[in-house]
Amino acid sequence: RRLLGWFLLSLALAGAQGLTPAHHLSLPDVARLQSLLSQQFTDLESAYYSVLGLTKLGAAVSDHKQVCRFIKSQLDPTSIDSVFFAAEASQAISGCEIPVSNETRDILLAAVSEDSTMTQIHRAVSALSSLGLPVASQEVVGALTARINKEDNVMAITSALQTAARLSKQAELGGILEEIEDLTARLDDLGGIYLQFEEGLEATAMFVTAAYSLSDHVDMEPPLKEDQVIQLVNSIFSKKSWDSLAEAFSVASAAAALSNNRFHVPVFVSAQGPATVSHSQPTLQLLVTDVMSQPLASANVLVESAYAVASKSIILNQAPFTLNDGVFELNFMSKQPASGYYQFTIAVTGDSRLVANHVELKVKVSTEVAVANMDLSVVDKDQSIGTKTTRVDYPSKAKSSFTADSHQNFAMSFQLVDVNTGVELTPHQTFVRLHNQKTGQEVVFVAEPDSKNLYKFELDTAERKSEFDSISGTYSLYLIVGDATLENPILWNVADVVLKFVDEEAPATIQAKTLYVPKPEIQHLFREPEKKPPTVVSNTFTALVMSPFLLLLILWFKLGANISNFSFSPSTILFHVGHAAMLGLMYVYWTHLNMFQTLKYLAIIGGVTFLAGNRMLAQKAVKRYVS
Amino acid sequence: MSNSVISVISRFLEEYSSSTPNKLKVVDAYLLYILLTGALQFLYCLLVGTFPFNSFLSGFISCVGSFILAVCLRIQINPQNKGEFLSISPERAFADFLFAHTVLHLVVMNFIG
Repeated sequence: RRLLGWFLLSLALAGAQGLTPAHHLSLPDVARLQSLLSQQFTDLESAYYSVLGLTKLGAAVSDHKQVCRFIKSQLDPTSIDSVFFAAEASQAISGCEIPVSNETRDILLAAVSEDSTMTQIHRAVSALSSLGLPVASQEVVGALTARINKEDNVMAITSALQTAARLSKQAELGGILEEIEDLTARLDDLGGIYLQFEEGLEATAMFVTAAYSLSDHVDMEPPLKEDQVIQLVNSIFSKKSWDSLAEAFSVASAAAALSNNRFHVPVFVSAQGPATVSHSQPTLQLLVTDVMSQPLASANVLVESAYAVASKSIILNQAPFTLNDGVFELNFMSKQPASGYYQFTIAVTGDSRLVANHVELKVKVSTEVAVANMDLSVVDKDQSIGTKTTRVDYPSKAKSSFTADSHQNFAMSFQLVDVNTGVELTPHQTFVRLHNQKTGQEVVFVAEPDSKNLYKFELDTAERKSEFDSISGTYSLYLIVGDATLENPILWNVADVVLKFVDEEAPATIQAKTLYVPKPEIQHLFREPEKKPPTVVSNTFTALVMSPFLLLLILWFKLGANISNFSFSPSTILFHVGHAAMLGLMYVYWTHLNMFQTLKYLAIIGGVTFLAGNRMLAQKAVKRYVS
Repeated sequence: MSNSVISVISRFLEEYSSSTPNKLKVVDAYLLYILLTGALQFLYCLLVGTFPFNSFLSGFISCVGSFILAVCLRIQINPQNKGEFLSISPERAFADFLFAHTVLHLVVMNFIG
């Protein structure tokens, strides 16, 4: 039974690896949005966007009294839009009461009808609600429902959703609530990553705001799947600079809606700095925030499982992070992991609203490498003379240089170990570089480890002479060790090696390898036309091939074939003319025309010939029957 | 042996010239002409080479096709085969012959290059 439980859990985990947000508003993004919204406003509409936008971001609006004065001075009590902007903005700042006359109230109430546009209804109802005036909710619902049928576009229906969120909960909001699902179906899925309206960012962001606003109001979960929510997050927050105040306002509204609603709160998990741990930096630090980079302090973060990418062995299971000054920390080095990459599956729990709360993170464990047991020797090829091994310690250089000529091999062996654990390492880059100081030549070889992780390098002077262009001399030998998981790459001048090559065939000056100069031009050889036989031969054979025709005429004459029975009826003449024309067409086809033109002419001539021929043959048949 | 072959051939020729109607002999002469033309084309190809190959093919196929169509015509207008071709009068056979030739020549001219 336990096995079954684990199996189901692993299935659930596998299914739970849904989409995670690729974009969100980082702290610099939020600051940029705020500064755009803080610009000096010129009219009531921009005041509305600024004040409400900043409020949604949780930022302070400067100098409320001045804003209030501005609003009151710009207010036009006969315009629904003006009253709307003023009412909403004044609600957001403290101590700002807009006086409302009976006329204004009547204008607003009159707007609630199916003859007004959706925008007018939305603004009127919102203004009435913000000013604390009574609203006939059921009437509004009726007007909205009628308008939805007439104005079927995204922005209008979004306005309807927003309006419904301001109505009494007792009203029949079910019909309007269903519009959320209809609008969701209209979203375009781009590559499985983005979900947005073709009308653009503002429409998408306002839709999200309105959907959650209404859903919260009626306390019913919106019909958005987790993946869809994340796709919407990607669409709305991928743009980092905004064209207009209205667009900035819509993004701010969406950010506020997605970080604080009753149903879906997308989580953004990222490592603070590079996701690397080492001996000097043993803790893995994570930032767990909402889409506005506000930390989710009430969350519990834990590593569900972590395994080494190379060996697939599990190193962590259900390990919790601890919250430390807004950052979630885990001391990974305490588990003494070997250097390399680890795949972490992190879960954020503690709130049932969290969306995309299972994240995969690749963590690197780096370490420092040390070279141990570096032994250099010159080995005679026939192995008759014993080898003399010199031990060199990093980072010093061997005191004396080594000489190897064509009878000898130069050999090097060493081990690479992890400084902290003493474990043998096999880094990606282990090179031996020989550099001729006089000529500037450089030859690089790869050192390979054997089965016991002991690195060996052997230089056969005779075999490798082509790499060196057979230039004898003193070469500095360097060991190069590097890897993504090493903090201390090594470039170590180990020793000097004097190489003596047989037959110094090399030129006096070394030509730098000409890899990037223009290559010799290739002359294109056009296809040679095939050899034609001499004209005499072809002419002869042409005559030869035509000769059987002569024979035919002779035979026919001998047989007595004649055209004495030729009747001069019109169909006969037409037939023969037509037939001749067809043969002529064949010749013209060969010389001038293409198939389509020929078929066209053939159809015409052939049709005529056919009809005439049919007539002619019928006449002949009749004649034959009669005789 | 050769004697019997010669006598068979001469007997055949005699029978042929006496019992074959003139119309058929006309068609037979035409068949011979086509045959020779085709054979000569093939000979050229063997001796001189296949360049240009498409022209050779088109010419040769033209001969082969014409030969076949003429044979069909001959079979259909032979009064001895009347029983087999009750619905096809000689005129109809000739008309078919002409139509098939039109198609053949269209293809041949296309291919001759």
